[in-house]
Amino acid sequence: MITIDNINNWFVQNFGAITIEQVKSWFIYNPDEKLLFNTGLFLGLFLVFYFVYGFLRKTFYLRLTYVILFSLFFYYKSSGIYFLLLLLSSVVDYGLSQIIYKETKVATKKVYLVISVILNLGLLGYFKYMNFMIGTYNDMFNGHFKFHDIFLPVGISFYTFQSMSYIIEIYREEIKPTKNYIEYLFFVSFFPQLVAGPIVRAKDFLPQIYQKLNLTRQDVNNALFLIIGGLIKKTVISNYISINFVDRVFDTPLNYTSFENLMASYGYAIQIYCDFSGYSDMAIGIALLLGFKLPANFRTPYKSTSITDFWRRWHISLSTWLKDFLYISIGGNREGSFAGFLFPSLFFFGLLLWGITSYNTSIIPLIIASISIVLFCLSFLLSSKKKQTLVTNLNLFTTMLLGGLWHGAGAQFIVWGALHGLALAVHKIFLEFFPSRKDGKSNFLWRFFSILITFHFVVFCWIFFRARDFETALQVINNIGQLTFEPQNWKAIVLGYKNVFLLMLFGYVWHFLPEVITDKMKLVFDKTPLLIKAIILGFVYWIVYATAVAGSQPFIYFQF
Amino acid sequence: MNTKSYFFQSFAIVALAFVAFIGFKQILPDKIFSDSKVDSKNVLIDSLLLESVAKDSLSLKSDSIEESERRLGEQKIVYDASEGIEFPSETFDNYKGYQYLISFYEKLYQLEQNPQRHVRIAYYGDSMTDGDLIVQDVRNNYQDRFGGNGVGFVSITSESAASRGSVKATYSKNWKTQSYLNVKRPASPFGVNGHVFFANDQTNPTWVQYEAGLPKHTTTLDNPTLFYGRSSKRGNVNFIIGKDTLKKSLTPNNLVNTLKVTSGSIKAFKANFIHADSIPIYGFNFDNGIGVHVDNFSQRGNSGLPISMFDASVMQAFDNNLKYDLIVLHYGTNVLNYGTKNYFWYEKGMTKTVNKIKESFPGVSILIVSTADKSTKYDLEMKTDSAVVPLMKAQKKYALETESGFVNLYTLMGGDGSMVKWVDESPAKANKDYTHFNQRGAKAIGNLLYSQLNNGYEQYKILRQKRETGVRPKAIRKPKADSVSVEKDSVNE
Repeated sequence: MITIDNINNWFVQNFGAITIEQVKSWFIYNPDEKLLFNTGLFLGLFLVFYFVYGFLRKTFYLRLTYVILFSLFFYYKSSGIYFLLLLLSSVVDYGLSQIIYKETKVATKKVYLVISVILNLGLLGYFKYMNFMIGTYNDMFNGHFKFHDIFLPVGISFYTFQSMSYIIEIYREEIKPTKNYIEYLFFVSFFPQLVAGPIVRAKDFLPQIYQKLNLTRQDVNNALFLIIGGLIKKTVISNYISINFVDRVFDTPLNYTSFENLMASYGYAIQIYCDFSGYSDMAIGIALLLGFKLPANFRTPYKSTSITDFWRRWHISLSTWLKDFLYISIGGNREGSFAGFLFPSLFFFGLLLWGITSYNTSIIPLIIASISIVLFCLSFLLSSKKKQTLVTNLNLFTTMLLGGLWHGAGAQFIVWGALHGLALAVHKIFLEFFPSRKDGKSNFLWRFFSILITFHFVVFCWIFFRARDFETALQVINNIGQLTFEPQNWKAIVLGYKNVFLLMLFGYVWHFLPEVITDKMKLVFDKTPLLIKAIILGFVYWIVYATAVAGSQPFIYFQF
Repeated sequence: MNTKSYFFQSFAIVALAFVAFIGFKQILPDKIFSDSKVDSKNVLIDSLLLESVAKDSLSLKSDSIEESERRLGEQKIVYDASEGIEFPSETFDNYKGYQYLISFYEKLYQLEQNPQRHVRIAYYGDSMTDGDLIVQDVRNNYQDRFGGNGVGFVSITSESAASRGSVKATYSKNWKTQSYLNVKRPASPFGVNGHVFFANDQTNPTWVQYEAGLPKHTTTLDNPTLFYGRSSKRGNVNFIIGKDTLKKSLTPNNLVNTLKVTSGSIKAFKANFIHADSIPIYGFNFDNGIGVHVDNFSQRGNSGLPISMFDASVMQAFDNNLKYDLIVLHYGTNVLNYGTKNYFWYEKGMTKTVNKIKESFPGVSILIVSTADKSTKYDLEMKTDSAVVPLMKAQKKYALETESGFVNLYTLMGGDGSMVKWVDESPAKANKDYTHFNQRGAKAIGNLLYSQLNNGYEQYKILRQKRETGVRPKAIRKPKADSVSVEKDSVNE
């Protein structure tokens, strides 16, 4: 006979005793335990939330308010008191957008737009870049400004951009403003994409608010498929290889062999893809379960045949945002602008300065600086339409520099952006000389090498992105440069980090799997009965759990 | 289309999946990735350690350990006066053993009185001190206060040479290296660094090149001196300094021989060994002869046990040249991962090591540095590894039993859970393996270590002052004798 005691015992055995303290901790902000989609706490909260949501599906304002409250709680769990900042900036942005919409004079509209852009970027700038600027100033002019004790509110880069897209689209008269603040707040605070994207565009999202909430069988299939894939990518592949291998090598690259450095670079490439795209996929999947369709954010980016192609497949919501609101705003491929000239000139000037000042210790920086400047100049001098290409390349370069900086405050992110900007310019001129075939088909070998080269260039750039600072990045690159062919030693290393390398292999194979096969897998999944789907999802939960409890692998030092 | 069914269906799937998860959790194993044992001959593991662990698996853990430990912890340690100095008594829990560092402190005191004297420290460690981490900060602190220039003794090759900032060593790939870590019977005895190197290549040149580092006190290579051992054959070495080449011959007659490259300070030099086969080469020493010098003898994977294999007579020959006043033994990281919490075997082994040090460097002070905090994942949380405290206690025990000073790195860095904090802190002070410190953390550790040692020194000075003002006649005599030997030293220079 099952008594309450029995149930209680079973419960305690499986979940541990639940104390009031614990229950409190579920609802109170803890900086060490962020509420991520891949945590058990999120699953529990979401189940309760989703159950009620199902009943509210036919209401409108009640449902919106309900989701807003959950979103704000979700944000509070990740950033504490800073959820008020989200509220405050949304009130200001909403107010400004209303003014811009109602104002008829173009000049006045523009003034308000500038105010809103300055406010938004100012806020982002303060929280994200203040200390970086202080540090840079101190380094350059021997200043002694104290660093501010700044907490970086989670997702501020994402919701600021989303908010800006709303205002700019209203200014450009691409969308109509929402009927009231509640609807706007729903758009800005929508929890699935709040903290890590995708950056949803107002014109894609707002119409969905007004549609009748609908969830088809296919939607559920898609959502589950995305969530399962996202969970595996983020918590199994990305987390495991970073903590057990990649982080260690990038902490002290010189303590590891060349081969380990090389593998850590490949490892980081798959790690960042799995981390980022996995989380995006989960966000898209969860939004879909709520009846909202967010655009895809990644399309197997390492299959790109060129760097231009890469930026159409990598973090799509960011690159289109940058294209529409930054690149086009500073002139796009039509005209030059002050900003378009300023940033690239500053960058190349700084690069040259670095080359000259370090000339005494090494000539290499100067060579690198000269080559990159020559390369950039050639990219428009060789073109048949010199002036237009110059303008385009400058604006593109600016976009990439600022896009790099968006990822984090640090010189290495600027370098990363610059490398991509330069590569885009080079690829353009390359295309002018060797245009791709009209029918879009190219031979297999050409394709293979294009992918291989693009992939390796991207991996190379990631080194700068991942390294703690510029110096560490150079250490990794130098170390890889000393690689010699020693298959016996490589084998020993691979065996030493068996789990890590297996996961890396799994990640890459999965990534490079032809679409035919992934589509087939999806088709099979769609056709499985509900119960089996639940079991599959449950099994994935278990994998996530079992990976999370796996201790980190003890460190190993190889000797050869 | 009926939307209702799909909302609740999808809810049902997520909820059912949760139930399925509970089921899976009960049938499937707890961990998906086994903590695979690495058994490869290419991994740096201390062979003596492996043997000791294997032997130990037979001994049983007794239940009374905890009780006896508790009693030990509160036990008072009272010192007998030595040289008329007696540090206050302390408990085992807070054991520091300054009393056993008196001879080192006296040498520091003499140096402070007469800046022309010198004090030398050998710092033996594992991967924690690789790349001169921690040690360079201890050295810097001492040289800041007591003077002294130079990085001390540097081996020919080292796995961590590339990551060392205090001196840059590059070397040809054809050196034959034997390490006390995994070689029991070396072709020639190990040097003070635990290694011996041979330039046996007949066809290609065997070389090593040193370049001074950037940190202060180490910006020059001072009085570079080659140390090599005994052999039946002679050999040659060419020192290339800038554009000059100095040709010198190696006369390997004594157990340990020295050859000065040049007097004074240079920035860099290269040494080409020619027909030097079978001559054991140990390394180069860089010091300016006055102040404090600290040698870093780090070896990845070392437990400290291999030191017990040192050849005492060779070490004494090194000691005659380098004159050590303090030997630091900083180990433990490599004995944490063997699933044992009973460290009696390690206590026994390290006691042998300390005794070997005493035999090798007569009259030297010894300092044991305990393991630092290290974290392991328990369930979903990183916590202090359960082996850390037992190991630290074992280290304290052999420190006390061998009359050595003791630095409790574990409590010094914050005790329970401190490694997690050091890793998560921004900027981080330790690496993601939750074991090793980064530059920043190593600097903090170096400073903590120095300040404890220095604390003892300041206390020593006060006690010494008391002794001077006291009426003990014996105490007054000693400084006089020392001042005589100072004059002798300056004559030697």
